[in-house]
Amino acid sequence: MRSQKIGTVAFWSLVVALLTYMTLPTIVVLMTSVNPTEILAFPPQGVSFDWYVKAVTYPDFRIAFKNGLIVTACASTLALIVGSAFAWLIHHYDFRGRGLLEGVLWSPLIIPHFTLGFGFLLLGGAFGVQQGYVMIVLAHMVLVMPFVTRAVHVSLANIDPALARAAANLGASPFQVLTRITLPLVVPGMAGGWLIAAVLSLTEFTASLYVTGSRTQTLPVAMYNYIREYADPTVSAISALLIIATTLIMLVADRTIGLRRVLAIDTH
Amino acid sequence: MTETAIIHPSKEAGSAVDIVRVRKDFGSAVGVADVSLTIRNGEFVTLLGPSGCGKSTLLGMIAGFVTPTAGKIVVDGADITDLEPYRRDIGMVFQSYALFPHMNVHDNIAFGLRMRKLPAAQVEKEVARAIAMMKLEGFEARRVRQLSGGQQQRVALARAIVIRPKVLLLDEPLSALDKNLRAQMQVELSELHRKTGLTTIFVTHDQGEALSLSDRIVVMNKGAVQQVAAPIELYRQPANGFVASFIGEINALPPGRCELKDGTASLVLPGVGPLVFPTAPATGFAPGRQVRAFLRPEHVRPVLAGEAGPNVVTGKVEAHIYQGSHTITRVVVEGIGLVETRVTGAEIVASAPVGASLGLAFDLSEAVLLDTAD
Amino acid sequence: MIQKRPFFITFLAPAVLTAVILAAAIFEVLQYSVREFVPGSLNVGGLTLENFARINRPIYWWVLADTFFISLLTAVFSLLASYPVAYALVRAKKDWVRSALVSLSITPLFTGEIVRTFSWMLTLGTDGFINSMLRKLGLIDMPIQLMYTRFGVVVALVQFSMPVMIILLATAIAHVDRDCERAAANLGASPSAVFWRVTLPLTLPGILSGIVVVFAWTMSAFSTPQLIGGGKILMISNLAYLQGFSVLNLPFAATLSLIALVCALGSLALMKTITGRIERRLAVN
Repeated sequence: MRSQKIGTVAFWSLVVALLTYMTLPTIVVLMTSVNPTEILAFPPQGVSFDWYVKAVTYPDFRIAFKNGLIVTACASTLALIVGSAFAWLIHHYDFRGRGLLEGVLWSPLIIPHFTLGFGFLLLGGAFGVQQGYVMIVLAHMVLVMPFVTRAVHVSLANIDPALARAAANLGASPFQVLTRITLPLVVPGMAGGWLIAAVLSLTEFTASLYVTGSRTQTLPVAMYNYIREYADPTVSAISALLIIATTLIMLVADRTIGLRRVLAIDTH
Repeated sequence: MTETAIIHPSKEAGSAVDIVRVRKDFGSAVGVADVSLTIRNGEFVTLLGPSGCGKSTLLGMIAGFVTPTAGKIVVDGADITDLEPYRRDIGMVFQSYALFPHMNVHDNIAFGLRMRKLPAAQVEKEVARAIAMMKLEGFEARRVRQLSGGQQQRVALARAIVIRPKVLLLDEPLSALDKNLRAQMQVELSELHRKTGLTTIFVTHDQGEALSLSDRIVVMNKGAVQQVAAPIELYRQPANGFVASFIGEINALPPGRCELKDGTASLVLPGVGPLVFPTAPATGFAPGRQVRAFLRPEHVRPVLAGEAGPNVVTGKVEAHIYQGSHTITRVVVEGIGLVETRVTGAEIVASAPVGASLGLAFDLSEAVLLDTAD
Repeated sequence: MIQKRPFFITFLAPAVLTAVILAAAIFEVLQYSVREFVPGSLNVGGLTLENFARINRPIYWWVLADTFFISLLTAVFSLLASYPVAYALVRAKKDWVRSALVSLSITPLFTGEIVRTFSWMLTLGTDGFINSMLRKLGLIDMPIQLMYTRFGVVVALVQFSMPVMIILLATAIAHVDRDCERAAANLGASPSAVFWRVTLPLTLPGILSGIVVVFAWTMSAFSTPQLIGGGKILMISNLAYLQGFSVLNLPFAATLSLIALVCALGSLALMKTITGRIERRLAVN
């Protein structure tokens, strides 16, 4: 019994150590963001929000944030519409070429983001819309769509198929079944998928680096360019804001729609 | 539950398992309430009860997967209450069998022996013996998922007995099998028990399995032991209303008073009149005592309406439940309520149609008399 | 009239259009990879296999080998670091512990690579957190070099990959039949024997898919080697970016991007074969 207790303590110490490793960089970034001096100091030599002020007033970041919001809103909403329709389609129908279509649309999960970004850069060049919003939105949409499709597909799979038959038996047309039965039941999945898509799009960097130009760059690209030029904690402040924002969104998502279900992590 | 229903632990020689005032609380709920039980060497004992009665929790405590809140468990004279499961030497067959899917039949059976670091030659010898005993020859290299339900059951048994356990625990092992296989496996379990002489504790909610397999049956409800008895005694002399209605079908008559007049014992039911005991009255009979009589459907005989006689009451047929070899007929009798009678064949369906009146003769010599409080 | 497949075309059309756009983008990469490089120009020449032949030089082989090596190290260490966390996440007895572990291990997935890479730069730098702490504790006099090293890159990449690894392992661990573990204990297996002989083998499919997914993922990592490697550590992504945006050799950049894609697809195909075989043997699910 005693050796078992020692083992338990050792195991949980290991888990805590690993979680510390996972969260250490986040803690470091939060520390540096409130440090008043330009030079790194641990622990911080005071608490100041000067870097936050500089971060939110820096023109490049303001423009990039606005660009990012436009791109994210368009890309995740498009992904939501197309991805939900596609999820419904593959849940209900089998058709020729379905495997190929699924393969292509799931592939952004595997394709390196720089390959994809490069592809959209070249495609934009071919149509003369290089580094314009259209290509950025399309690239982001393609990248985040698998997450929406998956979330909606999981929701659809959890609906008792007898419900649609019962509705039809009671006189509902296919359109009425879709809008009165199916849609209300997959709204949580769609909302969860949209949130994940939005967060991923907002923070996407590698593909964005390829497809954006200096006028259309998104926040992560602007941050990257800043890091390469300057070494002050402005980016710490921006990072801290992003960390807080994404964590809050994810907490809200988890509370309201069950993130674990959307991500299909079942621990029971 | 009555006080007498608890079998207090005895120190008699030959007891294999002593469960002493064992209790398990789940938060504020009681899982098992102060159960004491002694199981003799070589005995086949069944824990029987509806789901949630605490039988599986009790089994889990014997195996070491559930820690008792209070009490102790003694196996072969040694207190094992705080022993880790893997040091207990208690064999177990799980409801799901829990065969290791990543090992073949041979390695599943050899697992326990290997954990005991037995020499390889001896492992092979013991495994071969177990395989022969469970008639699994030729399946050694099979993956367990390729086996039928009955074969999986045999592997699980072989795996449990090959370690020569002090006690064998069976957790509803037949519930996953279809009806025909279940009957066959019951026979095989009996045979295995006879051959090995292993002290066996069997958990089930199926009274048929319990009645046919056990030396003794422990009936549990709501965490407490209701009665411990051999199958025949349990059927004939249930200790309380729960046991009476849980084992087989039974008619509960309304409360009445025992009377002894001119050497004739009778039970007086208000609004019905006296029912006479034809022979010596059943146990529990005492003049003046308020009792409830319980009577099995086979001891209620339908008679033609109007046919007079002792202990005949008349009611209205409510329904027939045809069951092949016999028919159960439900009759509503004024002053008594619903009474079921059981006769062979199906003639009664035609002779006493639903709605017709039907006389019922009560054979009180087989009645069980219990306190009205039970 | 009975509509056999309501909404079929309506719902199919946007998906097909999206797939065509995506395929066109990838086709552009393919198309550029077989074009002649015209120095000093962004326009490309005629068809050629020259770009693929060019890979066959030690300097490029070295980058490829390094990419493989870093990805493999990351996958292995990610597995070792994630398994205990995933195990705790599934098996913790208290509900709030499980929720806390899920939140702590999943949220880093959503902060984005730039934020995470930048955080590691602050942690690993010469004046960074680790060096400051070590100096405060008097363990070192001179800062140790963590940035621009393979070690630093792997440390950051392992942390990035852990959320995905944890999700895959947690799912596998959650699917282990607890009765199998109880049966092993009942047969005399100590807790460690139960783990090594039952739990671990039964989670093998999850382990393998975790390793391969992280391997493929890391192969296409860009910002971490770019910023933490700082040009001293080059992975195939950094080489492609360098060729495309500094040398302006778009065809060769396309070739490298294509090779990265093939490697990612290849590792996935490999995983499908291996896990498929194991799952058939276990016949689980």
